[in-house]
Amino acid sequence: MKIIACYSNKGGVGKTATSVNLAYACAMSGRQTLLCDMDPQGASGFYFRVKPSRKLKKQAFFKDVDCFTGAIRASDYENLDLLPANMSYRDFDIFLSRMKNSRSRLKKALKAVGNEYDVIILDCPPNISLLSENVFRVADKIVVPVIPTTLSERTLEQLYDFFKEKKYQRKKLLPFISMMQKRKNLHKETKLKLQKKYKNFLDKSIPFATDIEKMGVHRAPVLAYAGTRPAAKAYKDLWRAVEDKVGF
Amino acid sequence: MEPFIFTLPRGKSMKRVHHYLNSRTRYNLDVIKGEKLDAVLLDTFNSEIARSGQVLLQVGQTLLLINLLSCRIVEQHAASPWSFLTELAIGPVVAALKTVSRLRAFMVVSKLTLRCDRGLLLDDEGKTRARLHVFAFFRKKRSLLLGITQSLRGYDRAHRDLQHHLTDMGGAAVRDAGEILRCLKIKQREYSAKPDICIAPENPIKDSATTIIRTYLDVARQNEAGILADYDTEFLHDYRVSFRKVRSVLSLFKGVYSSEQTNELKREFADLMKHTNSLRDLDVYLLDREDYFRMVPESSHDGVRILFDIMAVKRRVEHKKICRLIKSKSYRQLVGGWVELFSNDEYLSSGSRAMKSSDRYVARLILNRYRKVCRIARRINETTADDAVHELRIHCKKLRYLMEFSLPFFPKKKVKILLRPLKRLQDNLGRFNDYSVQQVCFFL
Repeated sequence: MKIIACYSNKGGVGKTATSVNLAYACAMSGRQTLLCDMDPQGASGFYFRVKPSRKLKKQAFFKDVDCFTGAIRASDYENLDLLPANMSYRDFDIFLSRMKNSRSRLKKALKAVGNEYDVIILDCPPNISLLSENVFRVADKIVVPVIPTTLSERTLEQLYDFFKEKKYQRKKLLPFISMMQKRKNLHKETKLKLQKKYKNFLDKSIPFATDIEKMGVHRAPVLAYAGTRPAAKAYKDLWRAVEDKVGF
Repeated sequence: MEPFIFTLPRGKSMKRVHHYLNSRTRYNLDVIKGEKLDAVLLDTFNSEIARSGQVLLQVGQTLLLINLLSCRIVEQHAASPWSFLTELAIGPVVAALKTVSRLRAFMVVSKLTLRCDRGLLLDDEGKTRARLHVFAFFRKKRSLLLGITQSLRGYDRAHRDLQHHLTDMGGAAVRDAGEILRCLKIKQREYSAKPDICIAPENPIKDSATTIIRTYLDVARQNEAGILADYDTEFLHDYRVSFRKVRSVLSLFKGVYSSEQTNELKREFADLMKHTNSLRDLDVYLLDREDYFRMVPESSHDGVRILFDIMAVKRRVEHKKICRLIKSKSYRQLVGGWVELFSNDEYLSSGSRAMKSSDRYVARLILNRYRKVCRIARRINETTADDAVHELRIHCKKLRYLMEFSLPFFPKKKVKILLRPLKRLQDNLGRFNDYSVQQVCFFL
């Protein structure tokens, strides 16, 4: 089982769109995929038309394995399930850390679920919190959308500094350009600059496209309703690049 | 949650299901109707697919397998014509049929028309909560709707509701492929190489032996058409095994028929079998063709290929001979005579032990043979000559036949438990014999 997180400490950079489309592309590649919506806004769930479960609001959520497994919902797509949002962060931290720890009793208890999935994709909220730190520790790779603006560059720099300070593995970070407008020279220059600066910066970028904006209307991944469009192709390429880095 | 596999009564269509669910539930059933396509129902001669609760269809260039027990539906592309599973590419259907014999040819059971519809049970937000696959079969004036529900993780209640309403509409659970064939008026083959024989244990042994022989004569005869058509090599194999069983009854059940008649029959059966020996030998070589190629270095493959080409030609000649034999008047008279003779035990002359009760008679034979096997086995050590091991093999073979014949008289399960280790021992002895024969050949 591989854990891929989609994270940015800046909001509105296309994290959920990336998580949803990467999860879809992953599932389409034949891997059993679980998308965990950790953002309290529940946008991933919204895109998959999944209503949050009542069980998710309970405090004892992650203490009870059955409760956790019972909260997972199938999406409309083959190989792709979703764990809807609205959960207790603290418990999720514990859950995540235990999932990685082979000696953990919880991991053993969760073996049945863990074994079901080849890939777990985490759609993270935009902040640096205890939850985020747990994600940094347990994730095999962290996909970081960066919009080509000065502010976004600064946030990425802060993230790398934070990793350095806390001694987290910086090689886990896989930044890429999101909302790229090829007509704008500034965007192209920023991309080149960032690729030079960060070794793991992905060459693939996601365009600023109406097809992606329409996800809210279609309530489905771009790949599902506009599979042949450039935006969908970009997500497919991005998934392939991430797949290579994860090393299945 | 377990899927629900069901058939709907005549007159119920997917349209009705749609209206019924939309009017009675809070869900909306979105139906994606398929096209009507020509299809063929496939199975082996011994109905391995139907017996394992499955339905295999070739629809155009697609193979569709419906498992009524696991409710799994798998598809695989199969463009070119095929007869054996080994001719197909590795795929989901081939993988699902891993327990089906690779030696058996697939034959058309029936032609029909098929429409595959899909239904999605949607909630108020358009989220799929359960899926429904419906196969509409049409054959002549008969039709049948076979449905399979599919629950989605986290939406058990929706699936339960769907199942409940389908049952309300008259949907009846189906687990037996035979039921589908019956509904479509497709004749199901009843062939089995090892049919269950029902005989009362206290029946006179002559009566029982006659019933066993009659049964295996019938099995052999059912294979004749397959041998002529040369669908696969199993027809000849089953044919030979059946006659071997007949011969075993005659030779092992001593004193049941008069010795003159027994000897006469044994000779007749042996004469017939002789004609099939070389064809079977060639079949076995040709079936193991790939193994032989693996045994020799690649540089010798061209030579081995020539050898196998010669064998293939020889096989064609042998097959023609068998076909001529089976079609001949003398064969028809001979086999017809046997069928007539064994139709009633009164037509056969009785031996001294003909009236003994079957269970006691067979039990005594088994015990005697078992003791003999033990006696020979006890004598075997590292210095024993291969011939003695060969003798043990022969007696084990006879013991096995006796035990198999005894199945109608004793608790089946108990006998089958005893048969398993015996079969393993026989396999071992068989391999020993093969190696021994090969050794002799090498040193000649």
